[in-house]
Amino acid sequence: MTLATGEQAYADIALVDLLDRLLGTGVVIAGDVVISLAGVDLVQIRLNALITSVRREMAGG
Amino acid sequence: MGEPARYLYAVTRGLAPAVLDGVCGQAGERLEMLGVLDLEAVVSTVDLDEFGEDALHENLEHLDWIERTARAHDAVVQACAAAAPTAPMRLATVCLDDQSVRLRLEEWYDELAAALDRVAGREEWSVKVFAHPAPTTAVMEPAEPALAGGAAYLRRKKAATEERRAAEARSLRAVEAVDRELRGISVAARHLRAQDPRLSGHAGTMLLNAAYLVEAGDARRFTELVAELVRTHPGVSIGCDGPWPPYSFATLDRS
Repeated sequence: MTLATGEQAYADIALVDLLDRLLGTGVVIAGDVVISLAGVDLVQIRLNALITSVRREMAGG
Repeated sequence: MGEPARYLYAVTRGLAPAVLDGVCGQAGERLEMLGVLDLEAVVSTVDLDEFGEDALHENLEHLDWIERTARAHDAVVQACAAAAPTAPMRLATVCLDDQSVRLRLEEWYDELAAALDRVAGREEWSVKVFAHPAPTTAVMEPAEPALAGGAAYLRRKKAATEERRAAEARSLRAVEAVDRELRGISVAARHLRAQDPRLSGHAGTMLLNAAYLVEAGDARRFTELVAELVRTHPGVSIGCDGPWPPYSFATLDRS
């Protein structure tokens, strides 16, 4: 188990955990600039982007 | 350079401007506060060549851009949340000018005020529960080939299947118990979508990806309870981190 309490630990927070929150939950006030992705779920797009990147790293390594 | 616009990080109540000293916004831009009644919008200037609709569509495909933008956003939200009640905005909330930002705060004032009341003095903790990775099954490679008749093979296979089902049921009961215990000392709880194992960095299946809203004064009790749950539920892996700004709980309810 990791119990991250200090700033250092927070800095290491996984991007996927951050995106869960920055894209998946929380306040949604529409700005003037609409993230319009033609009906495609934004969260899905970011997951695909991440998985693609992981695969690329694995293929590269 | 394209047209300038305003990137909205968070809405706060009673944030002292000095808190933002030494914190930068997207692309290193200076942070500013726009007051609306007793609320503040924390904003910085961004370029529509980067944050306009077409640009966002393109940029959200690039992991390095997403990460840079998300971490800059989070750094601002963290600084705010450490100092005042904070309602974080979603990534890439962009308005064309200050007037547009103010109009939104006025329009959503009641909901924002309610969200800030809900999270004031509280923090978010993340708890994830994973199944242990499945053991490499010995079923397919019998230790005693001489005895590996068809019937014996099927018996072993059936036993392994039953054991796996029983293990899954035990794991789910453990998840329910962990969640129940943690809800007991939390103000609110929310289940997030389980993460893909390729992203979670954990080989086992994620059974629970939960966020708990905890009174700041109860944080120690919370982490101690997690540590106790780790000991009492050895059949699953439990991970905990925080405190987070209250990302999962500053939601706007409009009926």
